[in-house]
Amino acid sequence: MSLLEIRGLTTEFKTEQGIVKAIRGIDYTVDKGEVLGIVGESGSGKSVGMLSLMGLLASNGRVTDGTITFDGEDLTPSNLDTKKKKKQYEEKMRKIRGNDISMIFQDPMSYLNPIVTIEKQMTEGILYHTKCSKKEARQKAIELMKKVGIPAPESRLKQYPFEFSGGMRQRIIIAIALACNPKLIIADEPTTALDVTVQAQILDLLKDITKDTDAGVIIITHDLGVVASLCDRISIMYGGNIMEEGTSDEIFYEPKHPYTKGLLASIANSSADKREELKPIPGTPPDLLKLENECPFAARCSEAMEICTKYNPLVTEFSPTHRCKCWLHCRDRYKEVVKGDEADE
Amino acid sequence: MTEEALFRKLEAEEKNDEFIAVESQTFLQAAWKNFKSNKRALVGGIVLIVIVLLAIFGPMVAPYSYDEQNMALRNASPSADHWFGTDKMGRDIFVRILYGARISLLVGLVAAVVNLIIGTLYGGIAGYAGGKVDMVMMRIVDIIYSIPSMLYIVLIMLMFGASVGSIVLGISISCWIDMARIVRQEVKSLKEQEFTMAAFVLGASSKRILVKHLLLNAMGQIIVTVTLMVPQAIFTEAWLSFLGVGISAPQASWGTLAQDARSLIQVYPMQTVYPMLAICITIFAFNFVGEGLEKALDPKRKR
Amino acid sequence: MNNEAKTNVKPLLEVKNLTKYFPAKGGKEVHAVDGVSFTIEKGETLGIVGESGCGKSSMGRTILKVHEPTGGRIIFDGEDITDFNHRKMMPYRKRMQMIFQDPYASLNPRFTVGDIIEEPMIIHKMGTPKERKAIVQDLIETVGLKPDHIRRYPFEFSGGQRQRIGIARTLALKPEFIVCDEPISALDVSIQAQVINLLEKLQRERGFSYLFIAHDLEMVYHISHKIGVMYLGNMVEFGTSDDVYKRPLHPYTRALISAAPVADPKQAKEKKRIILQGEVPSPLDPPPGCPFSGRCPYATEKCKIKKPDTYEYDGRKVACYIYAPENVKQYSDAGKTPEEAVFLK
Repeated sequence: MSLLEIRGLTTEFKTEQGIVKAIRGIDYTVDKGEVLGIVGESGSGKSVGMLSLMGLLASNGRVTDGTITFDGEDLTPSNLDTKKKKKQYEEKMRKIRGNDISMIFQDPMSYLNPIVTIEKQMTEGILYHTKCSKKEARQKAIELMKKVGIPAPESRLKQYPFEFSGGMRQRIIIAIALACNPKLIIADEPTTALDVTVQAQILDLLKDITKDTDAGVIIITHDLGVVASLCDRISIMYGGNIMEEGTSDEIFYEPKHPYTKGLLASIANSSADKREELKPIPGTPPDLLKLENECPFAARCSEAMEICTKYNPLVTEFSPTHRCKCWLHCRDRYKEVVKGDEADE
Repeated sequence: MTEEALFRKLEAEEKNDEFIAVESQTFLQAAWKNFKSNKRALVGGIVLIVIVLLAIFGPMVAPYSYDEQNMALRNASPSADHWFGTDKMGRDIFVRILYGARISLLVGLVAAVVNLIIGTLYGGIAGYAGGKVDMVMMRIVDIIYSIPSMLYIVLIMLMFGASVGSIVLGISISCWIDMARIVRQEVKSLKEQEFTMAAFVLGASSKRILVKHLLLNAMGQIIVTVTLMVPQAIFTEAWLSFLGVGISAPQASWGTLAQDARSLIQVYPMQTVYPMLAICITIFAFNFVGEGLEKALDPKRKR
Repeated sequence: MNNEAKTNVKPLLEVKNLTKYFPAKGGKEVHAVDGVSFTIEKGETLGIVGESGCGKSSMGRTILKVHEPTGGRIIFDGEDITDFNHRKMMPYRKRMQMIFQDPYASLNPRFTVGDIIEEPMIIHKMGTPKERKAIVQDLIETVGLKPDHIRRYPFEFSGGQRQRIGIARTLALKPEFIVCDEPISALDVSIQAQVINLLEKLQRERGFSYLFIAHDLEMVYHISHKIGVMYLGNMVEFGTSDDVYKRPLHPYTRALISAAPVADPKQAKEKKRIILQGEVPSPLDPPPGCPFSGRCPYATEKCKIKKPDTYEYDGRKVACYIYAPENVKQYSDAGKTPEEAVFLK
């Protein structure tokens, strides 16, 4: 059984303009020791899925459908119709957050409390989730800081976040995430705010950590370069749908979806022998407010067909790990979606 | 639809890839829509309009003038002839309140104009110029602010006599200070935005940058501030008149009305209540409108 | 254009020993740009790479005199414009333009798209209102937007569309030289290539010269003819983009290029990455010697005391003692190139 299993997760946000369906029935599985990369542009829903899992959606957000199973336990946040159920769910999540599942965020400064010492912030979780003395917690914090490569941890524990550089702060966030030996680590754009040379340091650290632990790791990013070196499997999101999912090799060398192909063609690669012309994807990302049941990529897709503007495609499996959601690959099954009378017309 | 038709490849023209989902509406249209949906602000706005109309046309159609005395009918209770009754000189209180509204609104109007012109430009120039100019201009503001406004007003009264003009002048001297500070702050932060730099690189003159780029974008904040400064000026006038420094009899302002009625407060408490209610309602209405505008014009509110 | 013809033509822009210090608290100064020299030919793109705080944006702005330079000369088309005031700059404002980083902040939110694109022509009193309207119409189509977008407001557009509006505004003046200050870093991956291709197309058609500032190394490589690498206000290496990327000379360039994540799992695995220790020092308090000496694995005592000059080596300019003529001679006497002698040791 997988460590994490998400089925048909759908999340909506209520806004002034109407209901925004931020994710529209997505499936994920993560096994122990596996690194899953979720790649998507802004508005693709790549972060919303994980926030739904953690029960950290903004107050106007709501999971309307789908199931979440984590380590054999049902964590589905939909159908919380009574206050009691809601309270039970909150209670359950509080125990899981920071303990079984921990998160690493993009901007370490907004996650760390600026007026509390690093020691307090690091031991807080340890003390909350495990039964140990302050001294043991402190010892554990020092070990963790050594592990993430912070020099002189004993003296640095007494310092405040502003006394650390951006890269060091991100290391602390990683240390905090590791504190309770989590079963699942979710890293949301862990290197986006960092400079190239520091990014390389953090990516290296993440790589070591994913190798050492048997925890499942999910890395959310917009940068294909980050996932290429780090992830076992990659999931490409667009407009609230998973467009394609596969091993890194499958995604990079045998992409099936026009969007994945388009993404790969639109990035420059200086390691290539000669400078190739970039092939951008035309147009702009869809407005989720106006998106109905069509394929979200239809308006920008070079292969778009009539059906793409009317029906969301079915999932096609190319290998046990490789799935893709595109009408190009599931034409034979279109009658499953198109109603009989409409098909005959 | 046949399978062939469903799987027909779309031509480039059939795809709307530069699609804009948002309805096109100007900034003011969007603000008005938001303002309308705010019940409190809308009620405030309607009340204000009613007050303004009453102040302008009320005294014209009223059967009495503000200083017409009817000694036979002193301290009368409200009746069909005298809606709010009469005061100790037998004058119609309702008409006097309407007349007082004229003075209050005049004070408010002048304060608004002074705020809009002096406050906005002063703050705008200080914020845009920055450096030494800013420092000198803001120290001048500090000095004006540190002298109690009562002092100027009494001085002006002594020089020009107690009249509406004097009190308006007195209030004008200091009422734009807050506006200048707010606009300066706003302009300072807008100045750091890239569109200001873009205008500079395009070769725009300082005047153009200040007016078209900085103040135009600060407009929301400016309008909100005006709606909050106006009741303050109205209040100041009422307060000064109540203390006897402002307008004097037989002219009526809400402050003097309350002052006149004060000696009879134990016998005829309603005579004090009417002008106070008028002040209250007006200031509340302005504040509601100001609050509504603040929400409607907030530039941070995306879409 | 062959090389011989090029050398006879004076460069479009020549920057000599440019410095820009900003006053900071406590009487200190931020050494944003610290003696940078380079030239840009007509129709050429110079890419500037470096990490945050290296002064690349300040340099771009100082060249356009958004900031008054502290020292050095800016020579545009043979004219020294360093000390020009607003009035004298006016004709040059038409010729030297800028594209900004943040497409959400660089367009006045209270202007319609039409107003935004027309504004430069109003400022420079070009044409009648009717002619200007026609040009706006023309430009909006040049950048791939639709005529009915003219009446809309910037907030209605996506990031990529806004960036194209910004480009249209710049084009209205028919400039010759454009500083592109991180024009793609705020955009989604699939949109970045649109902007890059548009810039390249405009260069081909109108002979623009670009100073292209970005931290995305792959994209800079793609668009640039020459590249300057900046570190802490200094230009540490300057050469053709192929030279700099394929065979970086300066130790910092080597680390930077190697640290860039590659969107290709196989290349990412093969790529040998140099992970630098530490982070960029504060420009408030730059080290006395070579700015990179604190993190450089090859730094000697001399590097920490005295800042190296810029040396010509192998058709490139490098600010590193390894390439000082006396050292190069020493290495070649031993039968080695400086790179072999130092980096392969």
